[in-house]
Amino acid sequence: MIDTPAQVESRPTAPSVPAPEVPRQPRPERHPEEGTPDPVFRVKDLSFYYGPHQALRDVSIDIGAHEITAFIGPSGCGKTTFIRCLNRMNDLIPGARVEGEIDFEGRPLYGADIRAIDIRRRIGMVFQKPNPFPKSIYDNIALTPRRNGVKKSELDGLVEESLRRASLWDEVKDKLQQSAFSLSGGQQQRLCIARAIAVRPDVILMDEPCSALDPVATFRIEELMAELKGDYTIVIVTHNMQQAARVSDRTAFFTVDVSDQGRVGVLVEIGETSNIFTSPEDQRTEDYITGRFG
Amino acid sequence: MSITTEVRPEPSVPPRSARGRVPGLSADRSVRSLLLVAALLPTAALVFLTYQMVKTAWPAVIFNGVSFFTTKTFTIGNLYATGTEVHHGYTAAKGASYGILPLVFGTLVSSFIAVTLAVPVSVGGAILLAERIPVRLQGVLGTFLELLAGIPSVVFGLWGVYTFGPVLSRTVFKWIAALHIPWFGGPAGAGQGLLTASLVLAVMIVPIIAATTRELVRSVPSISKEGAVALGLTSSETVRIVTIPFIRTGVVAASILGLARALGETIAVLIISGNFLNAFPHSIFDPFSTMASTIAAFLDSALTDSTGMAVHSLAEVGLVLLVITLVANLAGRMLTRRFSGAGLPVGRGV
Repeated sequence: MIDTPAQVESRPTAPSVPAPEVPRQPRPERHPEEGTPDPVFRVKDLSFYYGPHQALRDVSIDIGAHEITAFIGPSGCGKTTFIRCLNRMNDLIPGARVEGEIDFEGRPLYGADIRAIDIRRRIGMVFQKPNPFPKSIYDNIALTPRRNGVKKSELDGLVEESLRRASLWDEVKDKLQQSAFSLSGGQQQRLCIARAIAVRPDVILMDEPCSALDPVATFRIEELMAELKGDYTIVIVTHNMQQAARVSDRTAFFTVDVSDQGRVGVLVEIGETSNIFTSPEDQRTEDYITGRFG
Repeated sequence: MSITTEVRPEPSVPPRSARGRVPGLSADRSVRSLLLVAALLPTAALVFLTYQMVKTAWPAVIFNGVSFFTTKTFTIGNLYATGTEVHHGYTAAKGASYGILPLVFGTLVSSFIAVTLAVPVSVGGAILLAERIPVRLQGVLGTFLELLAGIPSVVFGLWGVYTFGPVLSRTVFKWIAALHIPWFGGPAGAGQGLLTASLVLAVMIVPIIAATTRELVRSVPSISKEGAVALGLTSSETVRIVTIPFIRTGVVAASILGLARALGETIAVLIISGNFLNAFPHSIFDPFSTMASTIAAFLDSALTDSTGMAVHSLAEVGLVLLVITLVANLAGRMLTRRFSGAGLPVGRGV
């Protein structure tokens, strides 16, 4: 009899995700001091709205330097929305609104004196599908540095270095003037990573970078991420839990919170990847990683 | 025997008709033949049109010979004079001379100026309309663009000759003429002439090019544009690096559509051109004439030519216009193919 009201209450919203059960223990403080002594991003109580619709609620997270942080969670949980807050890509969406604080290297990311364009030059992004410019392979890399004032004499070196770092150089060194569209999907995605590296960013955000790629190409991108993390802070959104487990140092689990107010993305927990996948603190995380939903 | 037939399971495939065909296939066939007819009709119309034009023009082709393209005087002759002109066995009215060189010149130059002016305006406007303007305004401005495309050309002609031309000749044309640039100098006139006609043609083809370009801009994948934005490029750089290369092929095709419209435009040009025959304009402000407007201007009197050569010659003018339009279209197609070769993602998956 005690259960009945709860069941009745949850029915009208028709959740595709089971209503969250009572956690086994009180929710952990989502601002763990351990593990991220010098965070690149310090996010506190971030809420995000598309017009009247709230997409994210009270996300607090620290993202450490020279680490790979993976965001996992079911569809619609706001992972992509969140990662796009980190380089202010959501500024482009009419009616989008951010509440809360994001500090990037100690300064407010959404501060009045910060230009989104300057931010995006320091925080690169790789997308769900390869999106090279409709230009030559060389120009795809050289275009942005040239525009940012890199001398012409240094461009060739920069292009080679970026392509080498993206482990694409050997495959394209003889056809740099060919169209970027002549490359395969995996090569195009590595070209996009090289393009991001060429701007010499501090952070690379990857929004499901392998979702359009085959397993071989995916493996190469994962290898590349491991190599790059020495120099860059990497944040990756992935639908593939094995990928998160393979590549990341820390994993954040997002889910959808269904209530009378609608469906809102929330951060459930963040921790060392090994801990999240072996002994998650939250029941919802365990349900997700053991495949009980999502 | 009877037991076996009873046990046999129901056939899972639909029953076949007497001729062993799946029902619905004949309906499929009739739809296909209907579509085939619909697809062939435009081709048939073009072939029939060309045949008729050639047939009507043929006496003039023989009569005029090469001088049709090399002489400047276009007159159907004195229909009331005694005697006739005879060339290669064909007769025309006394004093008749059919030379279309200035008409070809007028047609090509006015259309070329119109397209040159219209393409940047259309592309700029379309990008603005599709990307920079709030969505609510996009609808309103887009509607105006479509309305502009629907205005009858005679209205453009009247507007050009009574308002646009005179105002321009009193202001902008005078300033340009004062610069004394060859071909852009001399008296600015009253507003009937090559530049006014080209400008009005430009206004007429802007909606054609802009509406097509707007759809092209909308079809640029947003992920490609975001790639540029995420690198810290400004929105104008994004347009230059991503949007324009993506739409370039389509813009060429849209410009050819506009060019075809400008080449064939008749009544507006007839009203604005000043209908000046038998010589080339000396400046961009001078009156001139085009092939299409000359056909319209002469047809009435040509029908009274008892030798019939005037009508034959007008048909030949029409044939030349048809060929020019087709050649422009084919050239556009070849350009499109070249542009969409290396460097563009047309027809290729990612």
